[in-house]
Amino acid sequence: MLEIAALSHFYGKHQALADVRLDIASGEIVAILGANGAGKSTLLKSIAGLVTPTSGARIRFEGADIAKLPPHQIVERGISLVPEGRAVFGELTVAENLQLGAYPARARAGEEQRLAKVLALFPRLTERMTQAVRTMSGGEQQMVAIGRALMSNPVLLLLDEPSLGLSPLLSREVFRALAQIRESGVSVLLVEQNARASLDIADRVYLIESGRNAGTGSASDMKNNPDIQRAYLGKARAPTTASQPSP
Amino acid sequence: MLLFDIVLPGLVLGGMYALIALGLTLQYGVARVMNLSYGESLIAAAFGALSLYSGLGLSPLVALLLAVPCAAALNWLLYRFLLERLMRRGKDRGAKEIDSILVTFGMLFVIQGIMLVAFGGQYYSYSYLSIPVVVLGTTLAVNRLVALLFAAVIGTAVYLALTRTRIGTAVRAIAVDPGAARLVGIDVPSMSGFAFACGGGLVAIGGVLVSMFLTFNASMGVVFTMKALVVVIMGGVGNVMGALVAGLMLGVVETAVARLVDPGLTLAATYALFLVVLLIKPTGLFGRAAA
Repeated sequence: MLEIAALSHFYGKHQALADVRLDIASGEIVAILGANGAGKSTLLKSIAGLVTPTSGARIRFEGADIAKLPPHQIVERGISLVPEGRAVFGELTVAENLQLGAYPARARAGEEQRLAKVLALFPRLTERMTQAVRTMSGGEQQMVAIGRALMSNPVLLLLDEPSLGLSPLLSREVFRALAQIRESGVSVLLVEQNARASLDIADRVYLIESGRNAGTGSASDMKNNPDIQRAYLGKARAPTTASQPSP
Repeated sequence: MLLFDIVLPGLVLGGMYALIALGLTLQYGVARVMNLSYGESLIAAAFGALSLYSGLGLSPLVALLLAVPCAAALNWLLYRFLLERLMRRGKDRGAKEIDSILVTFGMLFVIQGIMLVAFGGQYYSYSYLSIPVVVLGTTLAVNRLVALLFAAVIGTAVYLALTRTRIGTAVRAIAVDPGAARLVGIDVPSMSGFAFACGGGLVAIGGVLVSMFLTFNASMGVVFTMKALVVVIMGGVGNVMGALVAGLMLGVVETAVARLVDPGLTLAATYALFLVVLLIKPTGLFGRAAA
């Protein structure tokens, strides 16, 4: 559904992405793991059209080249980004934020039903509809951000650090919602610090290091890979070569 | 009765301020252009109404039908072919503001110069519906009442359009956060151009209405720019309700000071009110709580 090849991007002289490849099939949850500054956010922004990749980059979505499209047209094709820091409209109410989510023409039909689905997914937004978003907690704002993205009737949802700064309880609620979103047929591309939680819900994983592909595989393989465990799952370096008891 | 002597003319003046400030809110709050030639556009529209009235005998209310689309179109062209490039080039909000200030400061003198050549420096006024009527014990000219009525109807219509329609909500979304607006599929550059054009249309309405009861000359645009700016900042930048309320408030306070203290102190009263509001609420009456 989404095929990326030869994707590079420079911030001034600094190369943030170098020849990145990535594929997502319909209905998948794909997670991107990598250290801070590895280029994960830049990758999501390139897909959403917020940064322009160098010429030669190929970003194909449902068969069409979208690498040069402005952000609003990419939303119109069915890709919605929930950026790091959420970028909700703080001065506006929850209802207005969700209404704005349905701004693209592709989202006009069936807006009512989609709103009902979003409120079923995040019931606590129901009683907050007339509240200004900036007065809400980080977790609630994240729900508004995800809800707003879903209102645009996306085929592919891009999420940048959705659990950043959330309590473990709210994090769990967000991940539970992502699993449900996939059930409803929306593909998800996820960048997360919380590697454990993302490996639990993802189908496949890409590793990005210093702006380059550093490996890919199924989430279950990755979970059992000792290098991954050491680098991303916080398992202490094994003092001996004794292998861990398999579950 | 003294109260109505102040409130009614105050509302007429305040209605003009509110209307003019609404236009600047769209240009500054949404399109992010600090338009210093804003008052000159207003005076240009006033001269347009004067010429149509004295030359062709056309009523200023009919002149609106001509002035508003012309002003909107000119402002759109200006944004599309000049200001939008600056907006794309500016790295952050500060750089964009400085660029737009420099360009529109130059435009101020171009428009003013053309008007000075065409009309000279003397004051102009014309007599349209200057029939006195008594309302609530206060004597007012009909033209002022008509201006107030138009300001009320147009102000309400713009307010409803911005708060109740999808496009209006999109315009407000850009004022709140242009970056987030892109994420929900709003075409920010085109919508900004649209908002800038609407702002130009509103200032033309203000100019035509003001010309019905005020004497004006080619070099007084800056007064209106300042007043509009004061009202916009006092109401909270980008806030529609704020611009309307602050505009009416300023009109009433200025009229009260002119009537009760001394007409020479109106400008002082303007800035005193401005300072008091900003001391109490630095982000304006309806602005967000200090970030």
